[in-house]
Order: sequence, then structure tokens, then C-alpha cells
Amino acid sequence: MFAYAVKRLIQMLVVLWAVSVIVFMMMSFTGDPVFMVVPIDATDAEIAQARRILGLDRSLPEQYVLFLKNLLQGEFGRSYVFRQPALDLILERLPATLEIVLVALLIATVVAIPLGVFAGANPQNPLSRLIMSGSLVGISLPGFWVGMMLIFIFAVELRLFPSSGRGETVEFLGIRTSLLTANGWHHIVLPAVTLSFGTLAIILRITRAGMMEVMRQDYIKFARAKGVSRRGVLYGHGLRNGLIPVVTIFGLQLGDLIAFATITETIFAWPGMGKLLIDSIYRADRPVIVVYLMLVALIFVVVNFIVDILYTMIDPRITVK
Amino acid sequence: MTLNLLPLRRLMATAALALALAAGSADAKQLTVGLTADAVHLDPQAGEELSSNIMFYHIYDPLVRRTADLEFVPGLAESWELVDDTTWHFRLREGVTFHNGAELTPRDVVFTLERLKASLMSSLGRNIESFSEVDERTVEIKTFQPYAVLPNDLAGILILNEAHVTEVGDEQVDLSPVGTGPYRLANWSKEDRLVLEAFEEYWGGKPEIDTVVFRPITNPATRTAALLTGEVDIVQDLSVRDVERVAREADYEVITRPSLLNLVLALDFRDQSPTIPLDTNPMQDQRVREAITRAIDVETIRVAVMNGLSTPSEQYVPASHIGYLPGASFREMYPFDLERARELMAEAGYADGFKMTLDATNNRYVNDQQIAQALAQMLSQIGIELELNLMPRANFFGYIRVPSDSSSFIMSGWDVPSGDAGSMYGAMFHTRDVRDAYGRVNRGAYSNPDVDALIIEADSTADVRQRHETLQRVTEILMQDIPMIPVHYEQDIYAAHNRVQFTPRTDKFMWAFEMDIAE
Repeated sequence: MFAYAVKRLIQMLVVLWAVSVIVFMMMSFTGDPVFMVVPIDATDAEIAQARRILGLDRSLPEQYVLFLKNLLQGEFGRSYVFRQPALDLILERLPATLEIVLVALLIATVVAIPLGVFAGANPQNPLSRLIMSGSLVGISLPGFWVGMMLIFIFAVELRLFPSSGRGETVEFLGIRTSLLTANGWHHIVLPAVTLSFGTLAIILRITRAGMMEVMRQDYIKFARAKGVSRRGVLYGHGLRNGLIPVVTIFGLQLGDLIAFATITETIFAWPGMGKLLIDSIYRADRPVIVVYLMLVALIFVVVNFIVDILYTMIDPRITVK
Repeated sequence: MTLNLLPLRRLMATAALALALAAGSADAKQLTVGLTADAVHLDPQAGEELSSNIMFYHIYDPLVRRTADLEFVPGLAESWELVDDTTWHFRLREGVTFHNGAELTPRDVVFTLERLKASLMSSLGRNIESFSEVDERTVEIKTFQPYAVLPNDLAGILILNEAHVTEVGDEQVDLSPVGTGPYRLANWSKEDRLVLEAFEEYWGGKPEIDTVVFRPITNPATRTAALLTGEVDIVQDLSVRDVERVAREADYEVITRPSLLNLVLALDFRDQSPTIPLDTNPMQDQRVREAITRAIDVETIRVAVMNGLSTPSEQYVPASHIGYLPGASFREMYPFDLERARELMAEAGYADGFKMTLDATNNRYVNDQQIAQALAQMLSQIGIELELNLMPRANFFGYIRVPSDSSSFIMSGWDVPSGDAGSMYGAMFHTRDVRDAYGRVNRGAYSNPDVDALIIEADSTADVRQRHETLQRVTEILMQDIPMIPVHYEQDIYAAHNRVQFTPRTDKFMWAFEMDIAE
């Protein structure tokens, strides 16, 4: 177990290093950031001054070495545009992103698992067919379209929810969150539902497939034969064994949602970190892009590590090596 | 003995109700504005884009104020005088206080200019040579050469409080700004809302609107939705698609105004042009330049590409500017006329046309990509085969930068918020590389000794009248020479609830101090 954790840690460092190199190389093709901050008619002296202020007067390899040096001292670089530490900019926006991602995952899980279990246990039922075609729609609809339709129906026409923004926040354990105010929940419903759509459909389909697979097994027939109730078989024996692929996909989806909440955030003017990434790409703000992508890579690695540990808990036959 | 508490309870209930009413509504006026993006900075010397600029002018004041219609009137300076050709004295208004209670002194102005010179925004003060405190109410500013429009430049320089900046440090100025402006920062939750509250001791009088909330809503459709649901009272940059939808609503109004941003096409004047596969550069011939101008149907671009939301440009600068020549218009001198254009091409010896590349952005100006495609179509009518080289703005401005070694034909925008054609002419039309700071953006390497001499003449007088006349003569020559073809001004589109009193500003800087909202 310990050896396993160490191995994963080393893997993680390699991944993070690779991400930083790739972003540095990519950014050298996306234009010179200095022209994003100086006026069009800037004189050479003004441009040189801006380069000096931003640290862009050094060569790219030099900049990279400096970046690594600072990184080892816990300095993640400063945004060219905001002139603030890049990590602070991201962390400041992280809670808002985590909020919609968690609520979206909650909605997806609560809706998808019972529906998936039902559809898997009763494949011939007309309701199951309806659920399955519904899930296809969920997978195929683009998020921005769903978001716009929800805004149009529930905000503009019915006036049930606000169209955008995060609502009231309160401080809890040093983190600003909107999940502790009624106004905050009022604001989070539409974006979280939008974000949950695709994940909901995927979890539903995986749960159903897992259940169908498991329900054919001999031990299920045996459990029924020895007199366990149908409900007990479904949730006690069936779901528990059908859950392993669901947990895998859950981990991947969590990472995905954090990384791709961008579109939902933009549509609902949700103040998360995804929008920061888009703006930073647009402004060629390399320090922010590097730190953002490294953070997302870190989240992916950590989530998958946790998923591996969870396997061993759900199925004691599995051990991590 | 028993106490009868009932009357007391009633009294308390009534009082509580009255308090709740007073706090909830009554005279506190609030305006919520939907912007396209959040401000990046609140430190006016750290950078600039529209959202930040809007905040700057709420929080800070310049010495000279630019009005909504581009006139330049006293701001923190109540008056100014020219001592000699290059020396100006600005007399500060009395009794101006910063948000932290400190009084405005000449020292703050000197500090602001010193800090500006070392900042990323040093270009704002590029015509200023030196500055100093003369007495307790006067600041002296010297320019490198006689410069009649110094006050216009100063409208872009916002005055900081020395004590505050020194105390909190450069980085914190962005987060806790202190100025003399009509509003001060109450709360800024990044990307969600920026709240300003009226500054009671504002020297220009207390603002009508007590609280202004700015909400960044990037997606245009969401911005419209937020307006229609009443979450915001006014939005900037209403999407062209939504103009009809909002105009149909009885309670809302769509407000448009031509912007200052002139979309221009720069033509190459060098002997050989980078993207034209010929030994000579056809565009050196005035007839070819005229033919290109006549082949571009600006009216069709307005109707078909811009949905009617653009104003064809008459000249390089709008009528409000110093250097504008009344009565002269590209659209009248060279109206759309394909037949004449083909004749001119034939006369110049290019009846079969030629090939070249247009460099343009695809995410900087309204419908820039579609305009470029329309241009290619239009120029093909006179035999010019136009290849399009479209790129995002992060690449574009470095690519086309002088010496523009890969460009023949460039589409870009230019705006002159200082209200003076001189800065544009000096940068774009003065011969390159002969004088420091002139011809820096002369991407086509246009060179005309008469133009150069007149630009220098305009820049060596401290008399605005004389500068205006000199620059008008430059305008006249340029319209003959056609170093650049002006296309159109984009339209600024706003939408607001009827309760909001709002007149758009030429410079796009929405300013709550000039606005009001009915109860």
C-alpha cells in the first residue's frame, strides 16, 4: 500500500513536469504576451519596459528554468495580465467551481443510480426503454444548448430561478461558499442541472450495464432461491457488485467536470476558475495557464488514486500493488 | 402588581416594521449593470481594458475631464495656462478629498506621474517630459516639444493618493483602490460582482445613484436574459441577434451610438510587397489604390455583414476630432463604382489584376472574419485575388508590427479617444524611422514629405486652432494619397430598462455619475 502510494506520487510528479513543459512549448506559438498589454502604437522603449516588468526579456529556456526554480520555492509565477500570483487567482475561483461540480455530481448520482438499477433489473419494461432513450438524449445534447434552454424556460419565461451569477456567499472554514444560503441554492440549481446532464446519462448507462451483467450471475439466482427479497438482491448483492465500473467512471467524471465546467460557467456567469482559463488563453497569460493545467492534472491524479483505494473497499478481492 | 406589556409590544413591532421599510427601500437607489467582462485591474497604471476603464473613472478623477461628447473640461484641475510653448501650469481644485479622507495636493499629482513613467502604462504620459510642484495648488508639466493637446492626454491619467499607494504597496492598489472619484469600492467578488457606493464628499456633488453593482456576464444571450428577468437594469454590448427581441418589450429600450473605433485597411507602399508575386508593387500607383477603394462596397458591408449596425467612415477620424475636414468624405470622393474601378486598374496596367494577402483578426472586431471574406469577394470583381490570413488577436498584433515584413494589406481598428487626429497621423502616416516616435505604426511604409512637414508643424505649435488647421491640410492630402482606406465605425449597442436614464458616451465608459434610475 505504502509502496503503491509512493509509486503514484512519483508518477504524479512526472505528469506535472510534462504538463509544464508542454504548456511552455505551446505558449511560444500563441503570440507574444507583451503585445496584449502594450498599446498598439507603443514605442520600442515602452515595449522593452513592459518586457522587463513582465520578465519576458529573457529567452524561453531561461524563463522555464526560472519557473522551475521558483516552483521549488513554492512560487507559481505571476499573471502577466492581473499582476497577481497565478495560484491565488485560481484558488480564489476554485470554491465556486467545486460547488457546481459537487452539486452536479450529487444530482447525477441521486437520479442516475436508482434509474440505472431499475433499467438493468427490468430490461424489458417499457419504462426502462424510455429511461434509456432519455439517457441517449442526455449524452448527445450540447451543454451550452441545455443551459440556454433552461435559462429561457425557467428564468425568462417562468421566472422561477435567476438566469446567472452565484448568489449570496458566506464564509465557512475560511472558504466562501454559496451552499449555505437559500439565495445561493436558488442560483446554483440551473447551472448544476446543466452540468449534470452528460454525467447523469453516463452513470445511468454504466449502472444499467453493470446491473444487467451482475443479475445474470449464479449467486444472484442463489440469493433469490434462498429467499432474499427482490429489493435486497438488487441493492445488497446486485448494486454492490455492479458498482465497480460506476466508481471508476465517477472518478473520471469528477475530473472531467472540474476541467470542463468552463462552458457552463460562461453561460451562467458563474465565477469559477474555468472562465479564468478561457480568458487567460485569450490573453496569452502563460503563468495562469501553466498553473491551471498543472492543478487540473493534480486533481485527476489524486481522484484516480482515491478511486483505486475505493475499489479495495467495495471488493476486498482487489488489492493495490 | 401586573404590568401591561401589550402597548409596549405594539410600539416595538411598529418601530421594527418602520425600520425594515426604511432599510429596504425608500431613498437608496441601486443600479445593476451587466458588463461583458469583469474588471482586471483597479489600479489605473497596471493595465487597461474597457471594464477596468469603466471602474477607473468611477473611483478616480483625471486633472482634465473628457465629457460624454469628447469635450475636454476641468476635472481635478480647475484651470490651466500655458506659461511658455512647452510649460503648462495646472491649478488644482480646492477642497478635493480622497476616499481615505486625505486632501488632494500637487504632491499626489507628481507622485502619480512618477509612478506612471515606470509602469506598464507609461505610454499614457509619453508626451510629458517633466513635472513638478510649483506651490500648494499648482503643478507644472513640461512637454518635450510644443504640444497643444496636452490637456486631452491628461484626461487619460488618473490621480492616485501618494500616502495610500505607499502604504498598501503596488499590488494592493488593485484590490483596495483609493481615489477622489464619485464612487468608492464597497466589495469586489471576482467574476461575480463589483459593488461601488457613492462617495458622500465628492467634490462634484453627491451622486444620484447610491449603489452601483457591476456584474460580468460574458455570454451575450445570458446578458439579455438577465436584463429581461430584471436581474440587471442595463447591459453593455447587446447582441445584434437580440436587438429586435429587446426592442419589442415595452419596458426596455435599445440605445445605439457610433463608436470611435474606425476599421481601416492599410495599403503597402514599398517597391516590392511581401505577398504580391510581382517585381513591382501595383499599390504604389494611386489609380490602383483608388480602384481598390471604389471596389469596396461599404454600404453592403453595413447591411449584409453588420446588420445595419455600423457607420461608414468619412475620414480617418470622426467629426468631433481635431483635424477633421468638414465636407470631405471617402464615400463621396470614391463612391462604390466597379466600372470606374476596372477602368482605373486597366489604366494602371493591371487589367488582369494581381494576387495578394489580407491580414486580419478573427476575434478582435465585430464580425471581422466575415468582413474579410466580403472584401475578398468584392476585390475579386476587379481581378484582385485576395487570400485571407486570419488569426486571433494574440498573434495578430505581433505579426503586423512594423516593419510589417510579411504584410501587404492589413485590416485593423484604430480609435483616438484623445479627440485629436495628430497622434494617429504621427504614428500611422509620418515616414518611418526618420524621427523617434513617429511612423511607429506606419505599416505600409507610406511616405510623403509634405505630410511629414505638416505633422511636425502641427506638433510644434501650442495653439490648438493652428494645430487643427494644419492637421486638416494633412487630412486633405491623405484623402488624395489613400495610404489607408477607412471602412466603418462599429456601433455601440446598449439596452436598458425604461427606469434608467442613460446617454451613451463616445468613449464607451459607462459612468453612473451621469446616470439616474427612477424608483
